[in-house]
Parts: sequence; structure tokens; C-alpha cells
Amino acid sequence: MLKKSICTFCVILLCLPLLSGCWDSLDIEKSATILGIAIDKVESGDAQETGKITHFDEDDLTEEMIRLTAQISVPGRIPLGPETGGGGGEQEPVWVLRAIGHTIDDAMLNLQQELADEIFLGHLRIIVVSEEIAREGVERFNDFLRRQPEVRRTTWMVVSKEEAARYMEVAPKLERVPGLYVTAMVDNAVDLGKFPNDFAGIFWSHLSSKGQDGYLPYLKIKDEDNIEIEGLSYFKGEKMIGVIDPIEIGLFMGAINQKQGGYGAFIQVPDTKERVLVRAERRNTKTKTAIKDGKPEVHLRIRYEGEIEEKTVGNINIDDPKIIQKIEKQATKETTAALKKLIAKLQEEESDIFGFGERIRAEHPSYWNKQVKTKENWHNIYKDIDIHVEMTTHIRRVGMKEK
Amino acid sequence: MAKPKGITVAQTTAILISSIIGVGVLRLPLTAVQAGDTGAPLVTLLGVSVASVGVWVVAKLSMRFPNQSIIEYSEVILGKWLGRLYGFLMIAFFIILTGLGAREFGEVVVTAVLKETPIEVIVIVMLFMATMFVRHDLHTFAYIHSFYVPFILAPTLIIIVLSLKNANPLYLQPVFGNELNINAMLYGVLIVASLFQTGFIVSLIFPAMEKPEKAMKAGMWGIAVTSVLYVMVVVAILAVFGPEEVKKLNWPTLELTRATSFPGKILQRLDVVFLAIWVTAVFTTIFSGYMFTIRSLSQLLKLRDHKLFSMFFLPIFFVIAMVPENVMQMYKIIETVGAWGLVITIAPIFLLITAKARKLPAKRSGA
Repeated sequence: MLKKSICTFCVILLCLPLLSGCWDSLDIEKSATILGIAIDKVESGDAQETGKITHFDEDDLTEEMIRLTAQISVPGRIPLGPETGGGGGEQEPVWVLRAIGHTIDDAMLNLQQELADEIFLGHLRIIVVSEEIAREGVERFNDFLRRQPEVRRTTWMVVSKEEAARYMEVAPKLERVPGLYVTAMVDNAVDLGKFPNDFAGIFWSHLSSKGQDGYLPYLKIKDEDNIEIEGLSYFKGEKMIGVIDPIEIGLFMGAINQKQGGYGAFIQVPDTKERVLVRAERRNTKTKTAIKDGKPEVHLRIRYEGEIEEKTVGNINIDDPKIIQKIEKQATKETTAALKKLIAKLQEEESDIFGFGERIRAEHPSYWNKQVKTKENWHNIYKDIDIHVEMTTHIRRVGMKEK
Repeated sequence: MAKPKGITVAQTTAILISSIIGVGVLRLPLTAVQAGDTGAPLVTLLGVSVASVGVWVVAKLSMRFPNQSIIEYSEVILGKWLGRLYGFLMIAFFIILTGLGAREFGEVVVTAVLKETPIEVIVIVMLFMATMFVRHDLHTFAYIHSFYVPFILAPTLIIIVLSLKNANPLYLQPVFGNELNINAMLYGVLIVASLFQTGFIVSLIFPAMEKPEKAMKAGMWGIAVTSVLYVMVVVAILAVFGPEEVKKLNWPTLELTRATSFPGKILQRLDVVFLAIWVTAVFTTIFSGYMFTIRSLSQLLKLRDHKLFSMFFLPIFFVIAMVPENVMQMYKIIETVGAWGLVITIAPIFLLITAKARKLPAKRSGA
């Protein structure tokens, strides 16, 4: 009898860990799901706002303060399908909260202090960093984001022209959840060939690589509640140093062999004053590197395929293959010049967003091991390497109109 | 008990595959990249080759002594006491390996998924599950392994293929790595090889095979499949992240699944799928280690049955699992143990040479 009860006891004891259910269960309505965060600099007046939450003594911390604005989805108010009826429109689907801190995690903990539910970052879709902060360096955020197991690498990071916090509140008509609109914006830009695929994971890889610098979308708020991709912010190391225009993103995508074209450009028809809008449809790039007289050299051979989408009102007909050929030549000339200018500018600022350094590292390891080795060295060398651009443009289509 | 029908070649292959693929796959790319930079696939390949020598030797030995396991024939070859010492070392090594494997598993789960659950519970549940299953004989063992193998291989392959859309082939060059350091590379090769040590379990299975003369075939197939998979994992991770980024990640394989999404936005992150498979993979590995330990011990002590020990080892594994203070220390220990373990898993070469020199199996066949 005793033996039997001991046996039963043991079985029950062993079943305990197996039957206790999920220790980590967290109901969706009890977690504060953050969809987007924005990181800004703190104006000097706000610094005193924070309580003693993560530090014993304020003076010990030298790190500059940042302000974190988080967009938390309100459970039950995120529309799951198309809106039916007009009733639910009044309630905001998200709640925007602010916290300041010395680091991103510090700010998160301060935020948690004023939130009843546990912060959940598994659905974080967008990280907006203000230009001010980006220019000071982004590596201080990356550490937390890489360590945090909930954050996906497919989250997007963007740089904003103005205060990043505003992006958490702009509410365009197309999407009821503001944060998701910004994400959709960059995601669709990739699909439309307007921006290279560059989610946070790719950006981090670029930052780590010895022969490449990172780049991020540069956004701007237009007319109070709309957002525009204003260009591409390029980095040198972890610091953002400048912005290139959208049309140059097209050129840049050509240089890094992103096949889908999305930008169009006005091209002057030779011998006339008229212009046609040529849109790049596909690009194909061959990059060759060589070491000549102990100096790296890059040869880019870009082949554009495009379509004439529109011509400005005028007399010139574009139904003649010869004219098309002239336009092709002109387009080549203009784009080559523009790309050369872009490359020269980036070389001068020592930002190798093209990843030419990676190419040298991969294809000429003996040179790299002897002369380069580090990112700093590469920046110095990159500044005055020769980059040759050779382009061809082929116009395949003129649309549905004869002349 | 009636003498059961033997284990088939396919089953042996499956056992080998699912025993080898385990916790190590999460850190393998990091080890390889630390050792060889962009030469990581090469390091992996070399590591695999070292491991396959081990399996080849064990298969050779098993074909010489078709009815005996390594514990039994090492006594024959080396003499009673030396052989027993070797057997004992092997068992001790497998106990530590299995315990640390369980810990590594718990560590990943607690860091990445179940942050609230105590690591002790995760480790003990995993070990307990293995305890339940080791009570059965080798046939059940073989069935369990062959059942799980497709669930380990197929999803892993799918994840690798899907991740390749973010791959950059430049990160795979140069094949020898940028900062080639022969010493670091050789060390890396050994550490990668040590990931294959659970494959040593086949020394236990070979004697139970239906056709022991096919041991070599099963062994080589098992090694081939795992090495192709491991090299693919390393290539995919290196191409997606680049060498410098991989060095910053604790478990690059897990990170890969977090950076990969299923097309059409069906699944935006694959880590959930991957972790489910991976739990299975870890289970089969721990299961094998456990089985090896208690079977070998019962053979060493000349017992008829191994069930006796099944419960007995649970606390031992658990205590070993709890020894390391933190992840960093755990990996230091695992590296050291793995490196020493290579001595044990390479030792069969000497067994084979001695056996050849003493022309042993001919005299004692049927012993």
C-alpha cells in the first residue's frame, strides 16, 4: 500500500512540469504590442522628465538622451478586414506614448514603467530615426535591436527629415494604422523598383561589412499627413552623412545591379527642344574589378531597357527608329553623366554604399589583405579609385500611340 | 526474448542523421566563420571529412566484429582492463555531451522563445522525455529516428532555399577566407568535427543491423546527408549575413530563420517553424546520447538489459546540464569537451590498426 502511494506521488511529481501548461502564455489583449518606434533627440529642457528607473545616479551616464515614441496597437481596435459600417471609426486603433532615456533600452524600460501591459516587440514593423540622431550614429540602437529576440530582422529602419515622432501620428487615408502605412510605403517602393530591398537585417550586414556602407530610406512629411520618400540617406560607418535624390536612387540601383527599374527621366530629343519621358524597366549590370598599378579599379557595365511613356507636346514624331536611336544615345549620355557625378560625390564623402569594397575583398583577397584590411583604410582608398561607367540604353516600347 | 529482426540500412542511416543534427547546428556557422572567415564552407567541409573518417573506422571495425559493439570488441582488442577503461571513458564523454546538449537547448529556448520558463524545467522535460523512450529496445529507437528524419530534413531545406533570395554571393568569396590563419582554421575544423560526435552512436547500432556487412554503406550515407545539409546551412548563412555580421550573432541559424519570410506573406517569420523542427532534432540527439550511455554501460557491466539505468541517469544529466554559469561559459566548456572528445572518437583508428596487427576477428569470430 505504502509502495503504491509513493509510486503515485512520484508520477504526479513528474507530471507537474509536463502538465503545467505554458509558463510564457501572454494574452494578446494583455500585451502592449508596439508597431512602430521613433527615435529623436531630446531637447535640453526635457531631460529632467525621466524618473529613477534604470540608474541610481544620473551623473554616471554620459550617453546623450534620446526620446522614444512608440505606437502601441490597441487590442480589438485594429481592423482585420475592410471596414463595415461607420461606427468604429472614432476610436483610434493605436496609442502613441513617449519616453526618454539614455539608450533605447533605457527608454523602453522607462516606457514600461508607465504602461500596465508588458511591451511586446514581435510585431515591430518600423523604426524611424530622425536625421539628427542618424548623423550622430546608429550603432547604439543596433545593439539592443540585435539582442532583443522579439525584433525581426525584416523590420524596416528609415531616416526622417523632421522629428521622427510625427511619423507615429500621421494618418494617411489609405491605412488605418499609421505605423503600418510607413511600412507599406517602403515595402511597396521595393516592389515598384523605387528602392533596393534594404530591411534592417540587410542594413546591419552592410554596416558590419568591411567593404560597404549602409543606406536607408529618407522620408519626409508632406502636407501634414502624407509621407514621401525624399531620397536615400547614405552612411559612412555608422553615421549618416548625406542624402541623394530619388532619381539618383534609380542610378544607384543600376550600379548595384538591382534589376527592376522604377524611375523615369526626361530625356531631351536631340536637335530639338522637346523632351520624352523614358522609364527604365529593367537594368542589368556587370561589375568587374581589377588591380592596376597597385590601385583598385571598377568597371561598371550597365544595360538599361526602357520605354517611352510620354512626350512633351510638340511637333516631333518619334515613329522613326532613327530618332529612337538618337534618344537612346542621348539617354545613355545623360544617365552616364549623372551616375558619374553621383559616384564622384559619394567617393568624395567616402561612403561606399555600392559595396565596391566588398567586391575587392571577395575578388582580390591578396590585395585586400595587404593594403586594406579595415573599413577605415577602405574609405581612404575608395576616395580615389577609378570607377568607369559604360552604359547602353535600349528602348523597347513606345506605348500604344503611333506618333 | 526472441531475437528480433535486425535494423535495416535505411534505418541506420536515419539514426545517424538525426543523431548528428542537433543543438550544434545553431552555432555551427559562427564557429566556422570565426575559424575561416569567408572560408567557412571550406572549414565545414574539412570538419565533415574528419568526422567521416571516424565513422568509416567504426564501420570497418563493426564489419570485423559483426556481432559485437565497440564496448565489447575494444575489450577483445585491447585486453580486458584497457578495453574497459576506454569503454568507461567513452560513456563518461557521452554523459557530459548529452548533459551539455540539453543545457544548450534550454539556453536557446529561454533566450529566444520562452523567456519566463525556468531553464531547469525545459531541460528536465527534455531529459524526461528521452528517459521515457530509452526504456524501449533498439527497434523502437530506430523507428523513432526514421520517423523524425523527414521532419528534420525537409523544413530545413525549405528554409535554406527561401533564405537564398536575400543572399549575396560576394560574401562567399574568397573561398579560403580573407584573414587566413592556419591555426585558427585547423582548430575550427576540429570543433566542427566535434559536432559530429553523436554520430558515434552508430557503433551501437551496427551490431544490431540486419546485414552488418552493409554498415559502411549506412555510415557513409548518413555522413553524406548531414554534411551536405551542414555545408548548405553554412553557405546560406554566410551569403545572407556576410562574415562580419555572422560574427556578431550568437546563433546564426536561428537568426537566418528570423530574417526569412515565406513568399506571399503567408508566414512572415519562419523561426517558429524552425524551432519546432529543431526541438525534434535536439530530442533525437539527446535520445541517442542517452541510449548510447545506458546501453554501453549495461554492456560494460555485462548486464542483459539496459532499462535498469534509464531513470538512474536523469539526475546525472541534469546536474551536468546545470554546471555552466552562463552561455559563454557553457560554450567554452562544450568546446573543450568536444576537443577532448575527439581523442575518444578518433581512438578507434588505433583499435582498427591493433586489430589488423593482431589479426583478431579471424580467431574469435562467433565469440
